[in-house]
Amino acid sequence: MSQQLHLSAGPHVRDRWTTPFIMMIVLLALLPTAVIGVVVNGLNALWIILASIGAAVLTELLFCLVTRRKITIFDGSAAVTGMLLALCLSPNTPVILPVVGSVFAILVVKCCFGGLGKNFINPALAARCFLLLSFSNGMTNYPVDAVSGATPIAALKAGSMVNVTSMFLGTAGGVIGGSIVALLIGGLVLWGLDVIHGEICFSVIGGFTLCLALFGGHGFDPAYLAAQLCGGGVVMGAFFMATDYTTSPVSRLGQLVYGCLIGVLGALFRIFGKSADSFSYSIIIANLFTPLIDLYIVPKPYAYRKRAIDKAAGVVKPPLYKRIPKPVIALTIIAALAGLALSGVFSMTKGPIEANEEKKQQASFRIVCEDAVDFEQLEVRDGTNYGSGKFGSTTIEQALRAVGANGETAGYVLVISNRNAYNPPIKLALGVDPEGRVNRISFIEINETPGKGSLADESKFKDQFSGKLADSFVLNGTGEDGIDAISGATVTTKAVLNAVNAGLDFFRNVIMGGGN
Amino acid sequence: MRDTFRGGVHPRERKDLSREAALRVFDAKGEMVFPLAQHIGKPAKAIVKKGDPVLVGQRIAEADGFVSAHVICSCSGTVKAVEKRRTISGAMQECIVVDNDGLYTATGDVLDTPLPVDVVTNEEILQAVKDAGIIGLGGAGFPTHVKLAPKEPLAIKYLIANGAECEPYLTCNDQLMRGYAKEIVDGMEVVLKLFPNAQGVIAIENNKPEAIAAMKRAAAGHNRIRVMGLRTKYPQGGERSLIKVIAGVDYPITKLPADVGCIVDNVGTIYAIGRAALYHEPLFRHVLTVTGEAVKEPSNFIVRDGTSFQELIEAAGGIKDGVEAAKIISGGPMMGIAVSTTEVPITKTTNAITVLSSDPVEKADRQMTACLHCGRCTTVCPNGLMPQMMADAVAAGDYERYEKKLYGLDCISCGSCTYICPAKRPLTQTFKQTKAEIMARKRAAQGGQK
Repeated sequence: MSQQLHLSAGPHVRDRWTTPFIMMIVLLALLPTAVIGVVVNGLNALWIILASIGAAVLTELLFCLVTRRKITIFDGSAAVTGMLLALCLSPNTPVILPVVGSVFAILVVKCCFGGLGKNFINPALAARCFLLLSFSNGMTNYPVDAVSGATPIAALKAGSMVNVTSMFLGTAGGVIGGSIVALLIGGLVLWGLDVIHGEICFSVIGGFTLCLALFGGHGFDPAYLAAQLCGGGVVMGAFFMATDYTTSPVSRLGQLVYGCLIGVLGALFRIFGKSADSFSYSIIIANLFTPLIDLYIVPKPYAYRKRAIDKAAGVVKPPLYKRIPKPVIALTIIAALAGLALSGVFSMTKGPIEANEEKKQQASFRIVCEDAVDFEQLEVRDGTNYGSGKFGSTTIEQALRAVGANGETAGYVLVISNRNAYNPPIKLALGVDPEGRVNRISFIEINETPGKGSLADESKFKDQFSGKLADSFVLNGTGEDGIDAISGATVTTKAVLNAVNAGLDFFRNVIMGGGN
Repeated sequence: MRDTFRGGVHPRERKDLSREAALRVFDAKGEMVFPLAQHIGKPAKAIVKKGDPVLVGQRIAEADGFVSAHVICSCSGTVKAVEKRRTISGAMQECIVVDNDGLYTATGDVLDTPLPVDVVTNEEILQAVKDAGIIGLGGAGFPTHVKLAPKEPLAIKYLIANGAECEPYLTCNDQLMRGYAKEIVDGMEVVLKLFPNAQGVIAIENNKPEAIAAMKRAAAGHNRIRVMGLRTKYPQGGERSLIKVIAGVDYPITKLPADVGCIVDNVGTIYAIGRAALYHEPLFRHVLTVTGEAVKEPSNFIVRDGTSFQELIEAAGGIKDGVEAAKIISGGPMMGIAVSTTEVPITKTTNAITVLSSDPVEKADRQMTACLHCGRCTTVCPNGLMPQMMADAVAAGDYERYEKKLYGLDCISCGSCTYICPAKRPLTQTFKQTKAEIMARKRAAQGGQK
């Protein structure tokens, strides 16, 4: 045997999985999402994906060439970064933006910090946030729902309901990679193949859902939770962004902590924040915590864990449920029940609260129009911002005809709100007789300063309006239509005056003049 | 009861190459080389000199101190030299070289009929084991007479005969168990005499159904011995993995199996103990697999210590035509040592010669990337270590964290982390070096204090 023999330390055999292989699996897992994105959003989405991947790979190649390093583009990580960035952009984005983003992701976030495995935050997310902050116009130009005119999360924020099914399928607008079903399939495949850690993705989703359920104000309302989960990149973030190896902790416990941190932050940002893109920021914040988590959460080898030491020493412990003090168990059960009860209270009380509001309004109607036996709702057109600023920010919310004992018109009731008060809104019911004489006013909602603005709700002030026939009331006027201001609460007085004047104007011009 | 440990990997087994090759006795023709340090502990002292005639079974080097072992001559002839020769590790070591006359004249001390087990006393057993120069044949080579004399023999609860043979390619213990099941059980009976409170467990991976069946047949009627099938997973045959599965205990590196009530011996060692105690036969031959994609006829041999690699590869038909031997490994591919030349002798602990036609490590070196921090190494470590964090600590030069926080000295160098690493990082190698470095620093620190 004359030829040279290879020498190396063991082991002399290796697993088939390589870095490029893992990156290829991730790319393949993203492929369905990308395909659906292109099919739904058209060719521009394809150009964005291609431009993003191309720019990422090219940037890394140039960096390697310029710095005379080993060419690392074939490990596939640059392509994954490009793909991820493209999938979390709007299909209406100008193609130059993903290029700028990819260059930023690869050059600044990845290469400048030492390349693969050294980046301190997720490059794709960093690029996305960089683009959001720098080019907010181009970035937030989402294809929107034709009806509500907002992206699903913006609509959700505003309190309206969204079509969860279309979000799930990916036809609801938003980013290119918006198809939740495709993302879920890809993510679960990655989890099944042990490419990503279940500890991370499921704790992200779990933490997010739980936090939203407890503090979101809708309890465990499945429709609300599903809509929140399907929108704003939660699934994409949980399965493809948070699970980035480099920027997530190593230990299982660390991964759970990290995942929960993302979930909770994401939920809190959703509830209290303004940006619909908050999930990206919560992942980046958790990324920054990763080195700290890895420094302190280091699992001990099996032999050094307490259980193993006890076992080796022959210590026999009673089963777990016997070691926990009884009060702890009792308190836990009580806390859990209380939590469930509290979160259920919202949905249960929703109906009664609304009914109560309705009753209160009805009571106000009776106060301002005693003769009526029934009220008949009239249609209000263009009530919002009535008078286009002439009465400040005033809205005619309802108009009702008061029906007397013999079916005659006993008068009219108008529900008016004004947002110019000291602590808006002020909402009041104004009753007028058929001639337009003010019968009485009654506040439905008033939150003004106690002792000052709140005096508007005293009869001394309210009664000034009663029985008067005026085109409009005048603040501190001397005539029949003069109203004395509440001392120290001019703003409140003006708001009330504006509301009443708007109501009278509406009565004369719309109800009477409009031939209603 | 669970049948495996946490972690571990599944390398391609390739046992199919040689698993059906029955054991053949191979008598070497050429000179025989006996290194004085085949075991853990102090090297033995040569008691023969150049020109001395020697016989099969003759003691040619004597144990130097308690943790040491005799070296036994495996052929007859004359001593050619006592000099430095290249050994498996690649280093030049003191060896006794014997000119083999090919006659294999024995000393005649071996008994023809075995002594009955109940007649032999514990002292006689330990003396016979020491005289036979038996060391752990699983690979580590710890002197067996030391292992069989723990401080508290009554505290030993399990005697584990390790027939797992989890290394890929290796099949010699499989064949040994199939062909010499009764002798192994006899060896178990001998050792169990030393540990009256112990239960004998013969642990075999499930990929060797014939061996399990053979051992079960042989163990039938022995109420202190049972056979246990284990899940096929590397490193199932590691001492710690076996103790974890059978006794359910994890223990730190600072402890010995005896400290947790276990004695683990390779089935080959058990066989040798039986032969030594009942026949007074010293250890000069053992089973060995010659295998690998580049070998023409992968075989299982009963070989004599001191035979050269070259002779054994030729005995297995040599290298396949048109194939080049890229790498020759002493042992299996996971924990074996690559040798630079075939002109090195096998020792008591050499259990395989694996000849690979291509070197996966060379390919892996080309595929190496930066660490992804994917965490695959942490999931396969059988001891629950964090190889990825350990590698980071080494890279940062933070030996304090490596030792105290990450328990890096507990690494058993099984190679699972390196095997699984998609970035092809040489983790095990790094840890071996780091452990050596830390130990060296500790010794230096102690020396400074004196």
